[in-house]
Amino acid sequence: MTSTRRDLIKFGGGAAVGALLTPAPWRLVTDTALWSETWPGVPRVARGEIRARYTNCSLCPAGCPVRARCLGDQPVALFGVADHPFSHGTLCPFGLAGHHLPYHPQRLKQGPVEQAKAAVAEAIARCGAEERIAILDLRPGRTASWTYRRAAKQWKSGTYLAPHRILGGDAAVNLAAAKNVISVGAPLFDGWGTPGNVIAARDKFRLIQIEATESRTASLADTWVPVQPGDELQTARKFAQDLAAQGPTLVLDAGERSEILALNQTTGALGTAIVSRREAPVPDSWNQAAPESQLDALPDRSIRVLLIDESAAGSYIPWSRIEKKLVADNPVVVVFGSSADGYGRHAGFVLPTAVYPEAVDDIPPAVDSPVAMFRLSTSLVAAPAGLVNPAQFIAGFAGIDAANSLRERADAIHKAGRGNLFTYADAKSTPLKDVKADDFWKALNDGASWADEAPVRPAAPILALVASTANATEDDLPLAVLMAEAQPTPGSPILTKLYQESNLRLAANRIALHPSAAKSCGIADGGRAMLQTRCGKLEVQVTLDEGLPPGVVRVPAVPCTLDLCGTSPRAKVVRI
Amino acid sequence: MRGVFPFAAGLAIMLAAGWVGFPHAIYKSRPQPVDFSHKVHADKAGQKCEDCHAFRPDGTFAGIPTLDKCAGCHAAPMGTTPAEKNFVDQYVTPVREPQWAAYASQPDNVFFSHIAHVKRGQIQCETCHGNHGSTDHLQPFQQDRISGYSRNIWQVSERVKTTRPSMTMAGCIDCHHEKGLEHSCLDCHK
Repeated sequence: MTSTRRDLIKFGGGAAVGALLTPAPWRLVTDTALWSETWPGVPRVARGEIRARYTNCSLCPAGCPVRARCLGDQPVALFGVADHPFSHGTLCPFGLAGHHLPYHPQRLKQGPVEQAKAAVAEAIARCGAEERIAILDLRPGRTASWTYRRAAKQWKSGTYLAPHRILGGDAAVNLAAAKNVISVGAPLFDGWGTPGNVIAARDKFRLIQIEATESRTASLADTWVPVQPGDELQTARKFAQDLAAQGPTLVLDAGERSEILALNQTTGALGTAIVSRREAPVPDSWNQAAPESQLDALPDRSIRVLLIDESAAGSYIPWSRIEKKLVADNPVVVVFGSSADGYGRHAGFVLPTAVYPEAVDDIPPAVDSPVAMFRLSTSLVAAPAGLVNPAQFIAGFAGIDAANSLRERADAIHKAGRGNLFTYADAKSTPLKDVKADDFWKALNDGASWADEAPVRPAAPILALVASTANATEDDLPLAVLMAEAQPTPGSPILTKLYQESNLRLAANRIALHPSAAKSCGIADGGRAMLQTRCGKLEVQVTLDEGLPPGVVRVPAVPCTLDLCGTSPRAKVVRI
Repeated sequence: MRGVFPFAAGLAIMLAAGWVGFPHAIYKSRPQPVDFSHKVHADKAGQKCEDCHAFRPDGTFAGIPTLDKCAGCHAAPMGTTPAEKNFVDQYVTPVREPQWAAYASQPDNVFFSHIAHVKRGQIQCETCHGNHGSTDHLQPFQQDRISGYSRNIWQVSERVKTTRPSMTMAGCIDCHHEKGLEHSCLDCHK
């Protein structure tokens, strides 16, 4: 019997049918999927000794204490530190997912470091008499901030710039002393201060939340007062007059507008709910440092070299305000950051920095800490090679050795001998005068925080109010801009994926409109549109939100929209 | 008839290969370093599962005990079996850790908490591990050549002849559904 080709084909067909009736192909598919989980480059779960390491979260100025559960040297879960006298063991969702950040797909790991050094050196050398070398520090109050001020002092025309702040610097908030809190859009329960401290003080004050939408804070307030954008001052003034007689009434504003914060001068808040806060001591030799200046005080077209430290998230200044201060011909702009999404979009050089929890840095005290604090965000994960330390980069141009500045600062604090050291591993508080200098430094690196002594009688600060500037008429822009809550960037990829897919927080390219406003523009839910202001335009995706009042567009507080809307409070939306 | 024969032949050969040959080919087998008897330790030594497979003070599961746990009793042979003598000579005396192969190892991307299941869920060891705790011999460790995981994750051991749920994701989900527990991806894949 000879076999033909047809027989062979039939045999193959039978074999194929037979294979499908066996577990083999299905098991092979599953096993191949499992095998692909161990390919090179796929992150492997850490194995090793389980131990706790301690640090402080540097994603925002709250600087919450963190206990990291580590397998070997790899942090695998983050928790708050129980019994901490200020944070009370809490950690916000961003902090809980902080250990994801070193693996963020958009983080920078390489940059033109040598080219930037050469460009800065050359620009400094040819800096004209009327031109400046400026350092913009987005999170002032750190030890690195003092390095920048010292460096600026060394240059003939050095200038240290920081975002203007009324609360959070020399004036701090003591929430526990407030009988009432009038918040004009400040996200008290959604990122404003130190979460644990706000929660602990909650029962002590009545919260009146004045804002156009029912935000998460508004939904948890004692009273939500919906207002149209533009009516906030009038409404806040009325509440302040009515409530001041009941006790210290604290007035807060999301945008730190002077005219609103000025109400604190008549509500009994100064000296009670808003107190003067002295800074943590610094070495005597550091006092020869440039003062803090504001961007708006500089002449236009005067900055030849601008060095922006964006490595620690802080207040974002819209680029239009910065750009007009740069010289017209080839200014050198260097940004230090972990992503190119912020000022990196406008800079000539973007130099990569370490992210939390790689970076070693100190965290200035939060807005709601009535006393100075000193705590380190120590390194839980080794930073990749090729990153830049902004303070040391800048100090090099000024001939300053900043390598040990944190130790020097710690020694100066220890020398002052006041305050208490709280160590996280054993939850013990020890007066600093009972701790040796070396032990103090070791404790800070192992997980601890120093808090200054509270004054017997808190002093009333002088608020750094500024005169408000009237905005030009913008009748052709029908929508009032509402900025959503600020959020730390970068955020954990899985956290941002979760809340953006659910629209709990607006994604970077999304805006929210009331259905009637969207209908008048001819835009459906999820439709694409152009958001236009005086400062430019941006392609966005529209989400409909019936909770918004008509005539309002809600935008995320991310750099691209802050550039667009930060100085232009009105906008229009045009369907694409 | 003749026309059907090649098809049937192919079908039969592949069925045999898939059901008989494939399981032998896909797994490589190796014996455990010591022929440990759970039965002896449970019956004669009166030990329970948690005496050796304990929780640490921080709540993590110790898994397979280390040599120092065994050497606490077996510093010298306590019986007459060759397996125990081999254990003392090869491991206890030279202080060499036996390289046990864990039958229930999960993929690296799975987070499984013993304490949540044992203490909070009040699940007995036998529910997932069958009567492994009463066996007289340790079965060979059969490892999937492609995925690297144990055969025991998938199915009941033929020697044990008992039933327990598989330890695949589907098996875990089925049990959770039976108990009315719904979870998200992140609960097990952190």
